[in-house]
Amino acid sequence: MEAGTQEMPAFMTNRDEDVTSDSWRQHRKHVFVLSEAGKPIYSRYGSEEALSSTMGVMMALVSFVQSGDNIIRSVYSELHTVVFLQKGPLVLVCVSNSRQSEEQLRGELLYVYYQIISMLTQASISRIFEHKKNYDLRRLLAGSEKILDGLLNLVDSDPSFLLTAIHCLPLASSLRDSLSQILQKAITPNLVFSILVAKNQLLTIVQEKTVIEDARLEPADVHLLLNLIGASSAFQAGEIWTPICLPLFNPDCYFYAYISYLDPPECTVCLLLLSTDKEAFYAVADCKRKIEEAMVAQNALSLIAKAHSYSVSQVGVSDLRHFMYKPFDVPDTYRQLTQFTSPEMEAPYSSEEEKMRLLDLYRYMHSRIHSSTRPLKLIYHVAERETLLAWVTSKFELYTCFSPLVTKACAITAITKLLRWIKKEEERLFIRYPPKYSTTPNPSKSSRGGKSDQQDSTENGFLTLL
Amino acid sequence: MPEGSKMKKPDVKVVLLGDMNVGKTSLLHRYTERKFKDTVSTVGGAFFLKQWGPYNISIWDTAGREQFHGLGSMYCRGASAVILTYDVTNWQSLAELEERFLSLTDTANQDCIYAIVGNKADLTDPKAQLSHDSIGVSEDQTQCEEEMTEPQILSACPTPPASPESLSGLILHKQVAHEDAVAFYGRILRYKGLEDKSSLPPEKMCFETSAKTGYNVDALFETLFDLVLPSILRKRNENQESPTVDLEVCRGAGGRRARSTCC
Ligand SMILES: Nc1nc2c(ncn2[C@@H]2O[C@H](COP(=O)(O)OP(=O)(O)OP(=O)(O)O)[C@@H](O)[C@H]2O)c(=O)[nH]1
Ligand SMILES: [Mg+2]
Repeated sequence: MEAGTQEMPAFMTNRDEDVTSDSWRQHRKHVFVLSEAGKPIYSRYGSEEALSSTMGVMMALVSFVQSGDNIIRSVYSELHTVVFLQKGPLVLVCVSNSRQSEEQLRGELLYVYYQIISMLTQASISRIFEHKKNYDLRRLLAGSEKILDGLLNLVDSDPSFLLTAIHCLPLASSLRDSLSQILQKAITPNLVFSILVAKNQLLTIVQEKTVIEDARLEPADVHLLLNLIGASSAFQAGEIWTPICLPLFNPDCYFYAYISYLDPPECTVCLLLLSTDKEAFYAVADCKRKIEEAMVAQNALSLIAKAHSYSVSQVGVSDLRHFMYKPFDVPDTYRQLTQFTSPEMEAPYSSEEEKMRLLDLYRYMHSRIHSSTRPLKLIYHVAERETLLAWVTSKFELYTCFSPLVTKACAITAITKLLRWIKKEEERLFIRYPPKYSTTPNPSKSSRGGKSDQQDSTENGFLTLL
Repeated sequence: MPEGSKMKKPDVKVVLLGDMNVGKTSLLHRYTERKFKDTVSTVGGAFFLKQWGPYNISIWDTAGREQFHGLGSMYCRGASAVILTYDVTNWQSLAELEERFLSLTDTANQDCIYAIVGNKADLTDPKAQLSHDSIGVSEDQTQCEEEMTEPQILSACPTPPASPESLSGLILHKQVAHEDAVAFYGRILRYKGLEDKSSLPPEKMCFETSAKTGYNVDALFETLFDLVLPSILRKRNENQESPTVDLEVCRGAGGRRARSTCC
């Protein structure tokens, strides 16, 4: 989407849309964020100023229903679903004609809220509005619109958000292990997560031991990080150092994120190091140097460059066009990230419209499976141009798409074959055992002086997290 | 640990400061990559290591957004030069430098050099609209100073004059005159207690640039690098005289001390 607009003058963005035009009204999904006092904070299309009266109406609606001790949740019309989400002093509104369920839309609003938190922290937003109810939060969020726009585009086009799971790049497990080992060796006090990303998919993630004993990294936090990387990639030669909050990990504290590409000028392989120490830039940047050297020594970059997503034809099941598989059977002791695997979207789903149509079918199946009133375990859905089957068990959640003429029996056989294939390939498709490291020096070895000093600062680092 | 795995130690640190959207990232991009392309508002700060002859110059491109204000003094710690950037078509962007950014430079070196840069000159000044891609930019700088009156004429026009055929862009109202920048430079010297010393003259330290056309961009960076050269040499000398002092150790100690005082 960005690529196509390059020739456009910089001032022609979503913000400049005429909010009275038909095209504005016809957008698939509008998202608005406003403060409790009704001040506009963000609008996906059109500037917040131009929309302030619209937002005023929404606010009036919200406060009218609130006054009756009845929090407004959603409004339906023939064409649109309007969903409200109030989080602390912020009100988020989605107006959609996408036919998604209310729960799904609310989940998407929650992502928007989390992305705002990731930039400002929940504590500071509460503090600001306690202090001044009328505060114009755009002062702090100005410039972040593109990050929120980017998030909403991803939410529409990437099923990771729907499934709240991470998509990792298929990789020979030996290669993934050696990448993890490279990360494990390049550590410094207060470093807590080392993450390697290629083509917007996870390669590996290595975590500080003590940190993951208290809390695990949630997929949503990783999504926010990946979106941040995407949004800051415009100037790829530099090394970025920025505060970022992981709202599900801890909504009130910042991590300091080091972001740098390992393969300029292509910039497809990105290293992300998270520290709890604001001042650690140079130490963390040194970790990158070590990682870079080890990767060169092992020729890792060219191996990564060869890795790519797979084609559904590799599964060898005729009539199967596409699927999404999310396992639950990962040993919990590893505090594993929830992941899913899915082949490329190929013909007949190669155009943007067809991709979106398939995703919408999946969204429909997902909403039936997760319906709050009548959840289902298995759905066989014959659509106009394809047949879909969704199945959830205690071990996995699976969405499959077949050519239209497949019979139910055939589909079931195909799924058995598919599950067997996934089992065979699982080492390659998933990160099985996330490795850990410890940046705290071994207490038995540490004497006085430098070592114990280091340990102190590590502990301080963690304290600031709590 | 192999020596090679350490970062090439930067000899000197240069920091770009200024409100969001004034064009800091674009300026640096123009200088290092010789291009003007679409940018995204910077998050936090971005660190670049620029090889300049035998020297390694680190450049911090910081975010202008208020959200990241708290980090500014960290990026400035130990800086040898600070580029205070504003947008010539936006008066507020100059005012912000004084209100919001100047105090961040308290952590910079004592002998830190300050440059005031009015960017987006292509929007107000026909001269800056010509492409200045290659060398020879420094010549243009002197020309610019001779013809300093021209932008004034433009700024006196309530409506922009019709742009000549040959010029692609539109002429906007210039909100910040060169004199305003010079006056601000004077106030910086006073704020830093530097005005009596043989400090650098404002004619030399107030620039008008265009990241879009490249106008004056090389001149800005090359002038600054020339000026920080003495501090590079001094630092290299100091390191030679006292080989026991390791940069890493200094950094670590500095960081820890700073933390205990600020928290
Ligand atoms: N006409 C013109 N536009 C410019 C110039 N420099 C930058 N811009 C535009 O101004 C906008 C902001 O530029 P950036 O370089 O991202 O600004 P910044 O100062 O880095 O902003 P933050 O990172 O948010 O602090 C972009 O749309 C640029 O295309 C210039 O010299 N002339
Ligand atoms: Mg920038």
